Amino acid sequence: MIRVDARVCLGCMSCSNVCPSQNITRSEDSGRRTVHWKRCKEECDLCVELCPAKALSLVPWDENIPEPEISFDLVACRICGSPYATLPMLQRIESTLPAEMQKDASGLEWIRICPVCRRDVEAEGTVRQMVLARSRK
Amino acid sequence: MTKVLVPTVCPYCGAGCGFYIAVEKEKASGIEYMPDHPVSQGALCAKGNAALEILCHPERLVSPLKRRGEGWVRISWPEAMDLVARGLSQAKKKHGPRSLAFLSSSKCSNEDNYLMQKLARLLGSPHIDNCARLCHSPSVVGLNRTLGAAGMTNPIPDIASSRCIFIIGSNLAENHPVISRWIHRAKDQGATVIVADPRATPTSWMADIFLQLEPGTDVALLNGMAHVIIKEGLINRDYIDRSTRGFEALAEAVKEATAERTAEITGVAAEDIVHAARAYAKSPASSILYSMGITQHSTGTDNVQAVSNLALICGQLGRPGTGVMPLRGQNNVQGACDMGALAEFYPGYKKAADPKTIQYFSAAWSVHDLPLGPGLTATEMIEAAAAGTIKAMYIMGEDPANSDPCSENVRQALESLDFLVVQDIFMTATAQLADVVLPGAVWAEKEGSFTNTERRVQWSHKAIEPPGVARSDGEIICDVARSMGLQFDYPHAASVLDEINRTVPQYAGITRERLDAGSIAWPCPNADHPGTPILHCSGFNLADGRASIVPVAFRPAAEAASSDYPLILTTGRVAVHHNAGSMTRRSPSLISREPDLYVEMNREDAAALDVQDGDEVKITTIRGETAAIARLGDRVKKGVVFMPFHFPGTNILTTETTDREARIPEFKVCACNISRRD
Amino acid sequence: MAVYIDINRCIGCRSCEVACQRVHGGHGHINVHYVGDYAAVPVLCHHCQEAGCTMVCFSGALHKEGEVTAFDVEKCTGCGLCALACPFGVVWTDKLAHKCDLCQGREEGPACMATCPANALSDDFELAARRARERSARAVALGGRR
Repeated sequence: MIRVDARVCLGCMSCSNVCPSQNITRSEDSGRRTVHWKRCKEECDLCVELCPAKALSLVPWDENIPEPEISFDLVACRICGSPYATLPMLQRIESTLPAEMQKDASGLEWIRICPVCRRDVEAEGTVRQMVLARSRK
Repeated sequence: MTKVLVPTVCPYCGAGCGFYIAVEKEKASGIEYMPDHPVSQGALCAKGNAALEILCHPERLVSPLKRRGEGWVRISWPEAMDLVARGLSQAKKKHGPRSLAFLSSSKCSNEDNYLMQKLARLLGSPHIDNCARLCHSPSVVGLNRTLGAAGMTNPIPDIASSRCIFIIGSNLAENHPVISRWIHRAKDQGATVIVADPRATPTSWMADIFLQLEPGTDVALLNGMAHVIIKEGLINRDYIDRSTRGFEALAEAVKEATAERTAEITGVAAEDIVHAARAYAKSPASSILYSMGITQHSTGTDNVQAVSNLALICGQLGRPGTGVMPLRGQNNVQGACDMGALAEFYPGYKKAADPKTIQYFSAAWSVHDLPLGPGLTATEMIEAAAAGTIKAMYIMGEDPANSDPCSENVRQALESLDFLVVQDIFMTATAQLADVVLPGAVWAEKEGSFTNTERRVQWSHKAIEPPGVARSDGEIICDVARSMGLQFDYPHAASVLDEINRTVPQYAGITRERLDAGSIAWPCPNADHPGTPILHCSGFNLADGRASIVPVAFRPAAEAASSDYPLILTTGRVAVHHNAGSMTRRSPSLISREPDLYVEMNREDAAALDVQDGDEVKITTIRGETAAIARLGDRVKKGVVFMPFHFPGTNILTTETTDREARIPEFKVCACNISRRD
Repeated sequence: MAVYIDINRCIGCRSCEVACQRVHGGHGHINVHYVGDYAAVPVLCHHCQEAGCTMVCFSGALHKEGEVTAFDVEKCTGCGLCALACPFGVVWTDKLAHKCDLCQGREEGPACMATCPANALSDDFELAARRARERSARAVALGGRR
């Protein structure tokens, strides 16, 4: 059986992807991601080994222990508002990347905006001067 | 596993890019680019990259079909041929051969088109046309009159040698994307680019001078530019004297077309008009690239002639970097016209109304009783079907129910026919109305020659077999012909090209063998001739070798804004779709990128109607109404809206008014009203 | 090496998107963004020297191989951290991560570069700048275009 340390679980997609028996489910609904670890009798420990936060461990089978389930509110993009990531995942990024990498040239904290908006910001920045020139003609 | 690379010509636009289809175990497994292609140099636009998505599409027609009630039943080829022969023969017997009408396809090969027009005429009907009627018929009529030939005068790579490129009524960045690289090369050498369009488009992003004119005012603009050029002495007097006739009449006609007057009519600033005129006339080599924005008007032929006038008075023809360049839309619309699938022309542009033409082809085809034309054009055929004078139609690879203006009238007209047979690759809106549907093959499933917008003829090879029992269009036409008692013995496409070599002088030297070594631009009068990339180098194919300058007066578009319909609707295309959308709307890579019909509105107009970006709105004209998603922006000026015509619905709105000569509908201007749908 | 863009030439036709998607089994890595009504530009992997995606990848699937930010799919667990660590939003996870691989499996090199009708994409970092300098020089020599 899987035990989850809820204090360190990132709410990422690793364990639900790697489990060969579909014992770990992940669902997303109205800006919330829920991961549910079903009781399992499997002999493998892929989920434990491949968890980036080392949040999982295997314990002996016990019917009385409830199946772990954790829900995360997905953080809203600061530009468009769409929910795009769990907070622990963003915090993991912020503690891994060097501080000077976390703001772009204009001081924007890009980790807190969604990938679509990141592309838009990049596009706008790249062509800013050219757009000004073209709109003046 | 052996992978074979089969060279083909892209089935989409008139740029005629080549690419290889990779074939493994008799299936098309992928695409490889063709770096040594003279026009594309290995590039391929979004549509070309997605081309394989229609090959094994579940909606491909795979069997002949017969209508049963509201549905269809599969039939065998022999039964289909029997039904078609009976349908056409009955109409012919009861109402005469002139009650039959034929629509050929500018997507199909030269061989297919040649066979279709031969079938029509051998059955005694002069009514044969193709969708060029809806796009460049004014170029066919206008340029044949002014320059003696209708086709792009200079090849696409030659644009890089131009010092001033005037793009009017063309959004080539979206519709002929590879041409952009040649324009940029010219710009890198210092060329000036002028773009005239009521809309700001990716094409206008390339412009040094952008003339955002009111829809339908092209003749005014071109006359205004001619006026400036004449007034400032920038004409090429030597060229005019040597190579043209009619200049004096033009000078007289544009006397009043001052820059100020032109500015009033077109909405373009006078100084920009002067600027553009000077840039065009003064540059040592200037070219004009134009497309639907010039042709799809009730004054389309006038517009084309005005374009031609500008080039003639400045001597910007017959040399590298110059030219009058109609950018033709379909992969083989140039070829379909060259092959005479036109109401007013037999193959090679011999006039259908000329008894000498009848004599020539009676001998060439060993027949009597060829019909004297002109026949009904595509737009007139629909009217005649509604009126009951056309009783039966054979339509190949065309979708008038979606492509023609005023869709409701088209539907009723086709429904009223006694017999309709449609040959296509998908169940289009037009095929839905047929009595018999015949499944055709796409480009990858057959071979043949195709002529791109540069008059460049290329051979496209067969890569895979068609699905089900679908067959190549040429084979089907021969079968129909034989079922009607005609002797159409062509074992393969190459044998049709042989006959084309014998009967179409411009194609005389464009033989199957030579096409294996590379492409050839017509005219190519014999097998030793290299072809003619640049036209009019030494005179024009008209009386005493002179081009005709034909003065035209500005006439406004047929429909103007009114209190009921206060906005002007103009229609056009987007990069990821093609024409009526039967192929692109079924291609996942393309439809996902542009899934819905939209209407582009100016922010001020939208605000006045309380419309936000993304709202569903209703667009109405006197002919009907359609729903679309509003897209707000700065591309169109106040008072003008734009809709792409790749989705059913746009042509419910457009006007049936046509150009008097070319019979092209005025797709580019009509009056509409917009309101929120809720 | 990376794929560089001559922003002056992009016509927003999205051919690069369709080509990339086609050669990568449906998962494309280049996106064309429109900026107002005046420009379009593709956004794609910069193959950053200091790549955030490689820093957060705990399995080593994403790593630098010389100039290229490489990806070893065998090591990927699909956690999704990489997608959040890319400042340009050009790493994706869909069961497994995917990103621009400079068309390593393609003999002729990047499909986007080959297919671009406007010839706007190239692996020559200097190309766009060179073209701009040459244009200026000619404009001066010809007394300006206007």
